[in-house]
Amino acid sequence: MISRQSLIVAKWEFLRFFKWKQQLISYLLMLGIMGAVFAWSYFVDESRSEYRIAVPAHYTLTNTAQFQFQRPTVSLDEQLNQLRSSETWHAVVAEDAESIVIHTAAGKKWQQLLEQELQQYFRQQYGLAQGLSPEQLAKLSEPVTLEMRYLDDNYKGSDRPEKAVALAVLFMLLIGLSTAFGQLLMSITGEKQQRVTEQLYAIVTPQQWIDGKVLGHSLSAMKAMFTTSLVMLLGIVVALLFLADKPLALDWLNWGVIAWLVPFALLGVLLCACFMAAIAASIDDPNTSGKGAVMMITWLPLLFTYLVIDSPTGWGMTLLSWLPVTSFAAMPVRLAMVELPWWQPLLSLVLLIATLYWMRRVAGRIFLRGMQMYGKEPSWADIMRWALSSKTE
Amino acid sequence: MHIEVNTIEKAYATVTAVRGVSFTIASGEIFALLGPNGAGKSSIIRMLVGMTRPDSGVITVHHQKQEYDHVPRRYLGYLPEDRGLYPDKSVEKNLLYLAQLHGLSKAEAQQEMSHWLEIFELSDRRKEDLKQLSKGNQQKVQLIAAVIHKPALVILDEPFSGLDPINQEKVVGFLKTLREKGMTVILSAHQMAMVEKLADRMLLMAKGQVVLAGTLAEIQQQAQPQPEVVVETEQAVSSEQLAVLLPEMVFTQHTATRFSVFLPTTTQLSGCLQQLLSQFSIRSVSMQNPDLHQLYLAAMAAHQQEVQP
Repeated sequence: MISRQSLIVAKWEFLRFFKWKQQLISYLLMLGIMGAVFAWSYFVDESRSEYRIAVPAHYTLTNTAQFQFQRPTVSLDEQLNQLRSSETWHAVVAEDAESIVIHTAAGKKWQQLLEQELQQYFRQQYGLAQGLSPEQLAKLSEPVTLEMRYLDDNYKGSDRPEKAVALAVLFMLLIGLSTAFGQLLMSITGEKQQRVTEQLYAIVTPQQWIDGKVLGHSLSAMKAMFTTSLVMLLGIVVALLFLADKPLALDWLNWGVIAWLVPFALLGVLLCACFMAAIAASIDDPNTSGKGAVMMITWLPLLFTYLVIDSPTGWGMTLLSWLPVTSFAAMPVRLAMVELPWWQPLLSLVLLIATLYWMRRVAGRIFLRGMQMYGKEPSWADIMRWALSSKTE
Repeated sequence: MHIEVNTIEKAYATVTAVRGVSFTIASGEIFALLGPNGAGKSSIIRMLVGMTRPDSGVITVHHQKQEYDHVPRRYLGYLPEDRGLYPDKSVEKNLLYLAQLHGLSKAEAQQEMSHWLEIFELSDRRKEDLKQLSKGNQQKVQLIAAVIHKPALVILDEPFSGLDPINQEKVVGFLKTLREKGMTVILSAHQMAMVEKLADRMLLMAKGQVVLAGTLAEIQQQAQPQPEVVVETEQAVSSEQLAVLLPEMVFTQHTATRFSVFLPTTTQLSGCLQQLLSQFSIRSVSMQNPDLHQLYLAAMAAHQQEVQP
C-alpha cells in the first residue's frame, strides 16, 4: 500500500502548489464577479419598468404590468413629435397600408416583449373576425400538454434534478482533471529540468515517488473540485436568499446517488492522474516534446459521456459505464438518471479500482525506465513495452 | 560498508561505457574515481546506486553481515553529477523534505540540519529560497542533503565543481569529517590537488578501463614517470645551450636560471649533472616527485598511445 515516503512526497507536492492567500483572493474575486454580474443584470433588467404605448383609437388592448396602452386623439405626426421631443410615449403604434409600424426612439430589449404582446392581440382579433368564441380562442392560445411515459420503470426521466447533479459532476471532474494536468506536467518535467530526479531516486523507489506525486496532485484536484463546488453553491445560495428572495430547498437532492458519485469521481481523478504522471514521466523537455497533449486524453471520458447524456439507457452510456477507463464519468451519470441494481455500480467500482492499481504500476515503470534514458526521450513503442513489462526496480 | 566490484561491463546504445572494471572499497575510506569526461566514472556510480545494472560482472556490497548487488537506499547518501533542488523553496524546506524522505523524524532532521548549516556557515540563510543563494552555497546545501541522514556510504559525483578555492578547501574538511565519523566516501573529481589531499585510494580511468589503481604511493610506483630534476644556475642559460648540452633529454625552462630536466632513467642523473657542471655554476639541484596531476596526465597520455592503432 502507500508508504510513509509516498505520503511525505504527496504532502510536499500538495503544499507546493497550495498558496492559500492567493487562492482565497481568487475565490473572493470569483464571488465578487458573480455578484457584480447578478447586480448588473438586475439593474439593467428592462422588464421591471413601465412603458407608455400610443396605439390607434380602435385598438382594444388591455394594459399589463409593463405596458400602458393609450389612445391619443392627436394626429400621428403630433404623436411622433411627442415621441421625439419628450417622454410622453415610449412607442407609438400606427397602421400602414400593409403592416403595423412600431415607432420608437431607438432599439431596446423591452420592445421584443411589446412585439409579443401585439402578436398575441392580433391573433385574437383575427380569431374573433373568423367568428371564434372567446373559449375557442383561449383554447387555441393554450400550448398542448405533451407527456412522456416510459415503459422502462428504471428510467427516472430526463428533466429530473439528478441530471443537473450529473452534469455538475462532469463539470467538477473537468475542473479537477485540468488542475491535475497542469500541476503534474509542471511538477514532473520541472523536477527533471531542475535535476532533482536522480537525487530523489537515491532516496525513494520510483513507485513511492510516483504514488506520492499522484496522491498529492489528486488531492489538489479534489481540493479544486471541492472549493469550486462550494463557491458555486455559495453563489447560488446568496442569489436565491438575498437577491431573488426565494427559499432555499435542497429536498430534490438524492443523497443515495451522491454517495455513489463521490467514490467514482475521486477514483476517476486518481486514475487520470496516474495516466498523466506516466506520460509526464516520459517527457524529457516539455518545450520540445509533443507528448504533453496526450495527457488531455483523460478529458475524453467526460466528452463521450456528455454526448450520450440524453440517452442514459442506450448502449453507448451502458458501454461507457462499464469500461474502467470511462466509468468514473459515465456511471455517476447513469446512476443519477437510471435506477440500477446495487451490484452494477459496485462491480464497476471494483473494475475501476483494479485498473487504477494497474495504471499506478505502469506509471512507476515508465518513470523508472524513462529516467534511465539519460536525456533521450522514449518512443511510444518504448513506453508501450515498459507499460507491459513487470520491471519495477 | 565494504564494496567489491568484479569485472563489470556496461554498454549503452552506441557506446561501451565500462569495460571489465574491478576494484574494492574498504569500510571507512575515501575512494576517488578519476578520469576525463566519458571515462565511465558516472556509469560506475549509477551502477553502485542501483539506477542501472551491469551487463556483466558483479557488484557486491557487504554491510552488517548482509550482501546486496547495489548500495541500499537506506545506507546511501548521494550527490549526483546532474543535481539540483527546488529553487523556489527555502534552504530549510528543501533539507527537511529530503531528510524526512530519508526516514528522519522532523525533530531529528531539524537537529542535523542546524548542525550542518552551522558548519557550512549558512545558518542565517536557512529561510531564504535556494535560488537566492550563490552557486557555491547551493552546492553546500546539496552536500548537506547528501549526508543529513548519516548514511554509511556517501557517493559524491564531482563535489568540487562550481566551488571557489576557499570553498573547495571547506569541502575537503567536510569530507575528512565524514571519514572521521566512520562513513565510507566515494567521490569522482577532476581537481587532483584536492583528491591528493583526501583520497585513501583511487582509480584512474580512461575510456571505460582502469588505467591505474591504488594509494597515491602505489600509483606513483605504477606510473613510473620520467624523474624530474630541477636545476638552478648562477648565470643565465638558454634553451639552445641546453639542447646542445643534453641532446637526448627533455627539459622545461622555468626562468633564465631555473629549468627542469626529465631523465629517461634515474641512472642517468650523474652523467647529466656532470655535463651541466662542465658549463655552468650550479646553485642547487633537487629531485621532484610527480604530483597526482602529473601522474594523471602521464597515465592518460600513455593510455592514449596504447589504444591508438
